[in-house]
Amino acid sequence: MHEIDVKAGLLEPNDAIARENREFLAEHGIYAVDIMSAPGSGKTSLLEWALPALADRYRLAVVEGDIVGNADKERLDGFGVPVYQINTGAACHLDARMVHPSLHRVAEAGAEVLLIENVGNLVCPAEFDLGEDDVVMLLSVTEGHDKPKKYPLMFRRADLVAINKVDLLDRTNFDLPGAIGAVRDVHPGVAVLTTSCRTGEGIEDVVAWLEWRIAAKRAALQHARAGAAPAGLAT
Amino acid sequence: MHEAGIALNLIEAVERRLQAQTDARVAVIHVRVGELAGVSTEALDFAFQCLSAGTRVQGARLVFEVVPLMLVCDACGVTSRVVDLVFRCPACGSEKTRVSTGRELEVRTLELAEEHEVAHA
Repeated sequence: MHEIDVKAGLLEPNDAIARENREFLAEHGIYAVDIMSAPGSGKTSLLEWALPALADRYRLAVVEGDIVGNADKERLDGFGVPVYQINTGAACHLDARMVHPSLHRVAEAGAEVLLIENVGNLVCPAEFDLGEDDVVMLLSVTEGHDKPKKYPLMFRRADLVAINKVDLLDRTNFDLPGAIGAVRDVHPGVAVLTTSCRTGEGIEDVVAWLEWRIAAKRAALQHARAGAAPAGLAT
Repeated sequence: MHEAGIALNLIEAVERRLQAQTDARVAVIHVRVGELAGVSTEALDFAFQCLSAGTRVQGARLVFEVVPLMLVCDACGVTSRVVDLVFRCPACGSEKTRVSTGRELEVRTLELAEEHEVAHA
């Protein structure tokens, strides 16, 4: 039997476009955050808090990923921020190729910060790099404290986990310390915050975290440009 | 359930590799899947059987090598297997760990069918 080598990564077609997206975002000085969670965990509600909190300091844009419809876009249209809807048709997640055309529109709009709301799903979005700088993940109290160990890949992708709907803690048997412990088992060192998109509790912490990350990206890009400039002049 | 897209990438990768081999038929495709690849081998196999119909790789069998989920500790250097999805170092308790294996998702090799096998096919 004749055997031949292939050595082809099966996510490479997506990863290649994600790398292009990441370069495009860096070129245009745009910070991008991918917001992921199960359906109904509060992604759009978080944006309803975050957009007004960030809009006076940054030019924002939103990409909304949904299987069908534009219900979420309609919720966000009143904030004076451009919102681009992507309908995935049947696909249960955004991928780098789907997002790519909207990045050009985001850059043309002059945005500095892009907030991407992924399709509500704890499984598939974790596999697909979009080229984003950070992943913010929501785990809502009503989903249960057992989720980190049931969906480890998603929790490992997250740079920030916000445990949302904490206003409902006393109505449920959600074990908050247990949930935080499970998140830290699966992803040691990840940032964990608690929020309520109903009362606004903890939202300022998420906004502060985002501002810190935006500043970090700007500093990194400036550093890279400062390093690249003399070499460019010399040639 | 994104195994269908991954099966399509698999078929494309194999067909691309076969371009030079004019009429070779593929008997076996060896695929490495990490424990934490996030892919069901059963669903991938089923998607492959459905989507390979009518392609050059129709009839090929997928053989999976499951790669264990291993950690390397940046603090003490110990390599360990991940137990109960705890990603701290079991030796020193450090949180500064990296997944060394277990995220693989790739086609490794192909086995081409012998001529007489093609005749029987």
